[in-house]
Amino acid sequence: MATPITIGAAAGEYMEAVLVTEWRARPGDRVRAGDVVAVVETAKAATEVEAPCDGVLGRIAAGEGGEVAIDTPLGFILAEGEDEGEAETAGEPEYAAASDPAPETRQATPMPAPARQPGGRVVASPVARRLARAAGLDLSHLAGSGPRGRIKRRDVEAALAAAPGVDAALPVVLLHGFAADAAIWSALAAELGRDRALLRPELPGHGKAPPPPGAGFNGLVAPMLEWLDAQQAARLHLVGHSLGGAVALALAGQRPGRIASLTLIAPAGLGPGIDGEALAGICRATHPESLLPWLRRLVADPGLIGDDYARAAMAGRGAALRAAQTALAGRLFPDGTQGFDLRPVLAGVDVPLRLIWGREDAILPWRQALAAPGHAGLHLLPGTGHMPHVEAPQLVARILREVLAAAQSGGGDRA
Amino acid sequence: MAMMRYAEALNLALREEMARDDSVFVFGEDVAAYGGVFKVTQGLAEAFGDRVRDTPISEQTLTAMAVTAAMAGSRPVLEIMYADFLPLSLDALINQASVYHYIWNGQVSMPFVLRTQGGGGVGTGAQHAKSLDAMVAHVPGLKVVAPVTPADARALLKAAIRDPHPVIFLEHKLLYNLRGEVPEEDDAPGEIGRARLVREGGDVSIFATSRMVLEAEKAADDLAGDGIAAEVIDLRSLRPLDLGAITASVAKTNHAVVVNEGWRFCGYTAELAATIMDRAFDDLDAPVERVATRDMPIPYAETLEREVIPDAAAIAAAARRALA
Repeated sequence: MATPITIGAAAGEYMEAVLVTEWRARPGDRVRAGDVVAVVETAKAATEVEAPCDGVLGRIAAGEGGEVAIDTPLGFILAEGEDEGEAETAGEPEYAAASDPAPETRQATPMPAPARQPGGRVVASPVARRLARAAGLDLSHLAGSGPRGRIKRRDVEAALAAAPGVDAALPVVLLHGFAADAAIWSALAAELGRDRALLRPELPGHGKAPPPPGAGFNGLVAPMLEWLDAQQAARLHLVGHSLGGAVALALAGQRPGRIASLTLIAPAGLGPGIDGEALAGICRATHPESLLPWLRRLVADPGLIGDDYARAAMAGRGAALRAAQTALAGRLFPDGTQGFDLRPVLAGVDVPLRLIWGREDAILPWRQALAAPGHAGLHLLPGTGHMPHVEAPQLVARILREVLAAAQSGGGDRA
Repeated sequence: MAMMRYAEALNLALREEMARDDSVFVFGEDVAAYGGVFKVTQGLAEAFGDRVRDTPISEQTLTAMAVTAAMAGSRPVLEIMYADFLPLSLDALINQASVYHYIWNGQVSMPFVLRTQGGGGVGTGAQHAKSLDAMVAHVPGLKVVAPVTPADARALLKAAIRDPHPVIFLEHKLLYNLRGEVPEEDDAPGEIGRARLVREGGDVSIFATSRMVLEAEKAADDLAGDGIAAEVIDLRSLRPLDLGAITASVAKTNHAVVVNEGWRFCGYTAELAATIMDRAFDDLDAPVERVATRDMPIPYAETLEREVIPDAAAIAAAARRALA
């Protein structure tokens, strides 16, 4: 009768399993009671496991790198002259299930093997882990396609796409407005949380983006269309503010199949009216003092915009940027009028569509939202100006979460 | 806009700043009568007289002179002919220039610029082809910039000269003849600490410095042939780093390749890789790939030198490894 080698008291009471790090004896080796035959890793330390009796080391049930439950033998010691076959019948049936923790996993995913390291750790890239955590996806049964079976982002996305009902984790694109840059989204991004993939490209002639290659509104859209086409995700949620809203709308019009939902925050392009004086004032300003009053016009509560804010904004507005934006404003909003009309495009939008507008918007009047088609939702925010995502980020984030959830539960599957 | 060579853009910046501020002066080996071995200071002695001075070969003394002149209220621009000789300057940089502002509680400013050029690619051997970027970028209190385009060369040299703190200005011997547009009418100084988006892409971010930016662009062309959209970012400022540009790009692409012409071990790419792990770990879909010069002396023979210094092929291969 084979004698099982067990971990005994070494594991300590907090543990259910230990990791076998080393075998000091090989099957067939003669061992004496008290010889160290194996080393296991417990919660506290590496612990030596001694042979319980004299004999010959027989079958090893948990090899190096294997995880084994504390009540399960690591291997067996045979009496002199006892043969392996007897040991098999003696020990195996009883312990087979415990020593082979996940037989069904192997059957479910034949190749490549699940990305597990010795000890059961899942090998996945950080972003794959983050996306999986956000979507509630268990990585332990997923096969990795990266080097040495590492689970990469694409594996998680493929698994999510194949599994209905879970968050498809489509990225959300945030397009800022005229004279702003990607930083304008920071408050909203903080509300949406890190687990949502946010893309914040900058419009041509804004932030770090080069000036638009062509004149007029299409000169602005063309590079963004190129950017959209370069994105890996099959579909994206589009969010745009003001001029960025107009660009988002134009993108949705040209690439309907790539858009999962469209959320327009005080978008341009839905009527001729616009506060040209404020646009000109922002373009013209070369000092924080001259910029401040125009920035304050953007919001309902001027107290939101202080001297520091104006100074920081001015610091980002170098001569080249101001020149590019002045030229752009001249072409897009000649004589203080919106020189482009996207109402026909808006009428044709077929994906989940929301418009968010501040009732106190002094730049673009909220009544322009009435051009929206019947299936669109309209949110009119009281006490809010032209910058809902800055003035009321919590509320805008809440609306966005609703849109994303609705689009994911089937509303955005028309493509 | 005017087309000019990188060396001419540097010359223009020096002229503009010397004309603007009497306290700016230029000194170093062969900078006056000869106009600089790379012709960066050509004509300055004629225009500005003894504000442009030739010196003996003694980098240690020259750097200490720059420190004391800056403390005394001048704005010296020191040329060290080869970055390989930076070790001779290090005591003055590490024990004097970088610390006086701190140990004297801000009573002393240190507005000096140390211009030098490094890098290989033309068979100048183990003593004249190194990139010791990491050695100076290691030191708190020093700013380190490395412009690639003529426009940036001019704007950042102007910014360096006006900066109240010591700035190490790293040029590259293969960039001097590079031609590019320089907006002559806009003579505003650049901003130290801002990276430049060279090329936008969604698949992999390539962060490069100095001439390696040009190699990264070629690598991006190669990758585009396989449908891989590489984003190329010219860091421009090695210290301070534009952390926002780095994290934003990694958040977008989830893959990062870092490229610097210095040695790999304890090199500038090690700092970049560690920074990306610190700041953007949860955005990474693969380990950060490092592309750097092999850990050995730079060979004289150009065929061997090419095996040691990174190029577009090495960068493209690293990007493909990241995306594997």
